[in-house]
Amino acid sequence: MEGKYNLKSPAVKRLMKEAAELRDPTEHYHAQPLEDNLFEWHFSVRGPPDSDFDGGVYHGRIVLPPEYPMKPPSIILLTPNGRFEVGKKICLSISGHHPETWQPSWSIRTALIAIIGFMPTKGEGAIGSLDYTPEERRALAKKSQDFCCETCGCSMRSALLTLTPNSNPSAEDHQAKRLAQQINFKAESSSSRHASESRGAESESSTSSQGDASTSAEQEAADEPRTEQVEASPSAAEEDRPLPPAAPSTGRPLSPRQRRAQQQNQQGQRDGREPASRPAFAPAPRQQQDESHTGSAVLIVLLTLALAALIFRRIYLAQEYKFDFEL
Amino acid sequence: MAEEQQESSQGEMEGVNCLAYDEAIIAQQDRIQQEIANSNPLVSDRQDLSVLQREYADDDTVYQLKIKDLYKKYSYIRKTRPDGNCFYRAFGFAHLESLLDDSKELQKFKAVASKSKLDLVNEGFTEFTIEDFHNTFMDLIELCEKQPNLQELLNSFNDQNVSDYVVVYLRLLTSGYLQREHSFFQHFIEGGRSVKEFCQQEVEPMSKESDHIHIIALAQALNVSILVEYMDRGEGGTVNHHVFPEGGDPRIFLLYRPGHYDILYK
Repeated sequence: MEGKYNLKSPAVKRLMKEAAELRDPTEHYHAQPLEDNLFEWHFSVRGPPDSDFDGGVYHGRIVLPPEYPMKPPSIILLTPNGRFEVGKKICLSISGHHPETWQPSWSIRTALIAIIGFMPTKGEGAIGSLDYTPEERRALAKKSQDFCCETCGCSMRSALLTLTPNSNPSAEDHQAKRLAQQINFKAESSSSRHASESRGAESESSTSSQGDASTSAEQEAADEPRTEQVEASPSAAEEDRPLPPAAPSTGRPLSPRQRRAQQQNQQGQRDGREPASRPAFAPAPRQQQDESHTGSAVLIVLLTLALAALIFRRIYLAQEYKFDFEL
Repeated sequence: MAEEQQESSQGEMEGVNCLAYDEAIIAQQDRIQQEIANSNPLVSDRQDLSVLQREYADDDTVYQLKIKDLYKKYSYIRKTRPDGNCFYRAFGFAHLESLLDDSKELQKFKAVASKSKLDLVNEGFTEFTIEDFHNTFMDLIELCEKQPNLQELLNSFNDQNVSDYVVVYLRLLTSGYLQREHSFFQHFIEGGRSVKEFCQQEVEPMSKESDHIHIIALAQALNVSILVEYMDRGEGGTVNHHVFPEGGDPRIFLLYRPGHYDILYK
């Protein structure tokens, strides 16, 4: 590898150093560059203990930009885990909403520890994040041990040092949690963005129709992502159509289990809609919204009528009484 | 129940929104950066101070008066690229330039600089991640020892790789000093953040602009005195200056205009 790269390049110099530093697997993480590409690494991390990921070992790719370490690495999980979408770029990056930013003195190891620390945090709908149930995550953790990476030939059973009772993860664990608070993970690739956007709009519409009496404020808020989605849909259609639903930009299809899990996750949202015809989602939510709107309008009219009937009855009764008195 | 779901979906929406906004903002920032990069070298040649006059309208009396005031003390200016790293770049270049013909000071500075990495490592910075930045910094100091012509130093500072590595190292030194003296600096940090958080958000990431607190820390970390001339829209017709640390005998002079630092020469 040494002969292939310009050793004067700061990124090459740094990555060589990091490769040497991370050569031996630890109990918690391991990462090495691919044989033929110093700028693409594969890593394995152990799911943090005391979490739904306990017992899991997860595999993924790290893509380094040519400007590394001035620019952050991108991270892609390959093992289904229930916390990060598989095959989607999550990067340690800048966001106007989170002041934390990549620092050139961080390293691939920092990124690995951050991933571990990030796993038990809530996805909260962030792009590239999943919020599976604890049961599903535990099942995936168990299954993750069977994963074998075709590219780097790495088997999860032997990827890391085995945990021993004497090994004290608390120091690493603490560091991981601290880092997780600092670093912000964010999806990057544009096609995955479209996919997530439509998913976002989708689940939004379903919840507001479930929540029946939607206030106008919500309505306004709900309209915003949908407009984006409509704008985005022409390109989304082009980019997404050849791919399976929620397909990662790498074109790696999801396992049936994964897909089922995702569908479970968004239960009742698809209602037999063809998942492959994503662009069709855009108008659909509006229709649902309108239905729920008509429903409440009808309800209002009915209640008004009932109220009117009661008032009339009252007046009628009063008048009857008056008549009685006069007679 | 319904409310809960709505809340979570709103969170999701914000995720979608902020991502779209972020991407648009990042793209725009990149474009602006590119434009700035095309029209401004990282560190420019030394220019006559009169270039400043042309930057402001003739009837912009506040600035024209202040530029006249500046003329009383300075004759030349060297501009830096306004990319958020200008203070560090201006400082780094101006200081090394001033050491070119003062080998005694250069040796003193070299000693401080070479020891600085150890201080950072002792503070908990990872050695192998900071040593490249430190090495680049030391390489430049060694270059100055050979008393090259000025152009050579200028070329190094205009090589993005070298220049940015120097900026990173100066940022690390600033961060290290702030954290070492956190009990003092804690009082000057706004927003209820700890010194460490401040360093991680405002000092170590590239392109984060510098304020008084950064300048004080870096000046003290490297034991270098810096004079900053402040030129803004304030009334009075004169330029105010400030020496960091106070009472020092400044070797380098920087011009501050809101959001940007350039180098001044007598």
